[in-house]
Amino acid sequence: MSKKNLAMSVSIAIFAIYLLIALFAPLLTPYDPFIIAGGIYEEPSPEHLLGTNDLAQDIFSQLIYGTRATLLLGFTGAILSVSIGTAIGIVSGYYGGRVDEFITRTLDIVMTIPTFPLLLVMMMFFTPGIYVTGILMGLLGSARGVRVIRSQVLSIAQMNFITGVKVMGASDLYVMAKHVLPNLLSLVTVQFVFSAQHFMVMGIGLGFLGLGDSNVIDWGQMIDRAYQNGGVINGLWWWLIPPGMAVTFLSLSLALFGYSMEDEINPRMKLTRI
Amino acid sequence: MDIIRIKNLNAGFPTKRGLVRAATSVDLTIREGECLGLIGESGCGKTVLGMTIMRLLQPNTIISGEIFYKGQNLLALKEEEMRKLRGKELGMILQNSTTSLNPVLSVGDQIAEGIILHEGLRKKEAREKATELLEKVQIKNAAVMSKRYPHEFSGGMRERAMIAIALACSPSFVIADEPTTGLDNRTMKGVISLLAEVAKSKSMLFITHDLAAASEICDTIAVMYAGEIVEWGDVDEVFSAPLHPYTSGLLNSLPERGFIAIPGSSPSLIDLPGGCRFKERCACSEERCARAHPLMKEISSSHKVRCHRYD
Amino acid sequence: MIEITDLKTTFSTGLFKKHTINAVDVVSLHIKKGETLGLVGESGCGKTTLGKTILRLVEPSAGTICFDNQDITRLSMREMRKIRPRMQMIFQDPDSSLNPRMTVAESIAEPLRQAGTKKQEIPKRVEELLTLVGLSLEHLDRHPYELSGGQNQRVVLARVLALEPDFIIADEPTSALDVSVQAQILKLIRDLKDELGLTCLFISHDLMVVRHMSDSIAVMGQGKIVEIGTPDEIFESPSHPYTKDLVSFAKNAVLPYKKESK
Repeated sequence: MSKKNLAMSVSIAIFAIYLLIALFAPLLTPYDPFIIAGGIYEEPSPEHLLGTNDLAQDIFSQLIYGTRATLLLGFTGAILSVSIGTAIGIVSGYYGGRVDEFITRTLDIVMTIPTFPLLLVMMMFFTPGIYVTGILMGLLGSARGVRVIRSQVLSIAQMNFITGVKVMGASDLYVMAKHVLPNLLSLVTVQFVFSAQHFMVMGIGLGFLGLGDSNVIDWGQMIDRAYQNGGVINGLWWWLIPPGMAVTFLSLSLALFGYSMEDEINPRMKLTRI
Repeated sequence: MDIIRIKNLNAGFPTKRGLVRAATSVDLTIREGECLGLIGESGCGKTVLGMTIMRLLQPNTIISGEIFYKGQNLLALKEEEMRKLRGKELGMILQNSTTSLNPVLSVGDQIAEGIILHEGLRKKEAREKATELLEKVQIKNAAVMSKRYPHEFSGGMRERAMIAIALACSPSFVIADEPTTGLDNRTMKGVISLLAEVAKSKSMLFITHDLAAASEICDTIAVMYAGEIVEWGDVDEVFSAPLHPYTSGLLNSLPERGFIAIPGSSPSLIDLPGGCRFKERCACSEERCARAHPLMKEISSSHKVRCHRYD
Repeated sequence: MIEITDLKTTFSTGLFKKHTINAVDVVSLHIKKGETLGLVGESGCGKTTLGKTILRLVEPSAGTICFDNQDITRLSMREMRKIRPRMQMIFQDPDSSLNPRMTVAESIAEPLRQAGTKKQEIPKRVEELLTLVGLSLEHLDRHPYELSGGQNQRVVLARVLALEPDFIIADEPTSALDVSVQAQILKLIRDLKDELGLTCLFISHDLMVVRHMSDSIAVMGQGKIVEIGTPDEIFESPSHPYTKDLVSFAKNAVLPYKKESK
């Protein structure tokens, strides 16, 4: 197996594990992550694999449940932002001319607004739940993908088969859906993976800043709690390190997957990346 | 009965450097069952003419004049009405290239698309019909090949598939735009005889710079130079006794005529010269060629030319 | 000038199962100084690979290539670089052979600079080369997209000639061009060849073009040379069935009308 294939398989395998954990969280956890499962600040033991926190909740169970929140947030955001980005990108690149001009200029303006701070402000005012947070992220992050998709569509639109389909009497909508989009799928997948990664990390950041949905557990909030309630000062590594590691591995596996997909699409890029 | 009648057609694209006048007062008719060969060098406007008939030029193109198809003016139709004609009544065979078929769809599906769109057949029936069409364009093993993807097709087979796509809904008029470019002699011969077969049963506009192919397929020939028609007539007359110096120049630059090149190059379509557009490259240009723009003159009922020598 | 003996070029494809393709399958050829050998064959017969192998743009897997009595098959890349300027290649698609960001003047000056021409002499040489290939000074500041295919192919020629090569491989130099422009470029190549005493390998799928350009013709099919002869021999009395096929196709593709009487 070549190096690239290996990277892709490993990243898919890691990601699959996360996905399974998220799906089967209730079966894998010994305790409900919200209940008092023992004493407070317990050290790791066979009963509590990663000990308990200041509220006497089982950290291991929290870690497992946290996977759900992170994946959910990442995917909600990514699905929304990639769909919007792809749709706008296709329209912009396919029609060209004034439509394209308008969209590109608007994007130039939108892109100057920093997403994360804006998101912070909105979160502080509205304290939305996890789904709304995902939707907000998706909306704010959709501008990023438009350019990449648009430039690809520009070159696809020049290809002869597009003329061919028009010659056949197809409508623009038909051409975009049946002929442009399928040729973008691999690029869209890459976009999806990278934005999912981006939003997951962003979601953890929000949790850490105390802006997460308090009805769910996520790794950001876990780390935040560990900081706030003496986990760091007392050197309770089992409270702090596991969520950190969980984030890192998830993020890495997605990045790795994204990069190897990208290489697959565009072999020339292999040379430029070390 | 004329199937296509083009009257005083002008087409131009505005660019930063000026208006590109791709077609200037083009008048042409194609009779029912006739195959008209439109020949000329690349950049002379012949592809634009084909695309104007299909009404598939960039939206900012400035078009004037009329194109009648079976008596209705195509340029006056709504986009929606035009879309119903494309593929159904007006077929188009595109130039063979690696991008002329969608790489992510099977060839059979691409042929079936038009049938589904215009005839409302189900996918399965349309696919069966696609296979029949592939058989008709002489692709061996059509049932297997229709499930294959464009990259598994050779250049000649791709061109045959393009012909099948154009013929899918049995249109009555077909435009073929440089269908033999980039094919080697052996494959080209096959494609040409297939096109000649198609031309027997359909009216056709055959756009090409391959004079030998045109002579084999067409009934009449129109020669285009710098956006205008300079000679138009019966295929035998145009090729055996060309009237316009440009047509003779083209014929003489063929290998079998000894590669005698026409000096110079075609004028830019942005900055067209006054008077005769060919005068600078013409061996027999006279003083009046610079002064007056020659008009199309009927020499016989089957031969017209745009040159001062015949005034 | 060029002596090729039992040359073989093999490609292997496939990720898991290795397929080997003999693109050039034991070919021997020789070209005398100042002569043009036409290499004709259908697409995919290996003629382009043969051309690239001779210049060692593709490494041969067996056989030898002698250039000017020197075996260049085993030369190191550094030694090869010294010889490269003397052997040049012209490709099919003129538009992609030029850097779109460079003007004509810059494009032609580039090889001159590489060859170590003195800085003050470069503009003069560029102008000389430009007139040599039949372009005028007004073209100096143009970019490739502002020129026609034929004009771009002239610029490519000027670039190649800037290095003062002894041997040129022209790989389908006119197949992307219109007939009238093709005639111009072919005439130019012929004239330049006579004027500068170049040795040439002219690769084309078009037998009529090759016949017009060459002193002798080699016919290639599926990686092998099937027949070598003078243009008249190949055309009038082809012996190999593959050659017969090609000749009959070529004769068929000819305009059936007689030359005008006027």
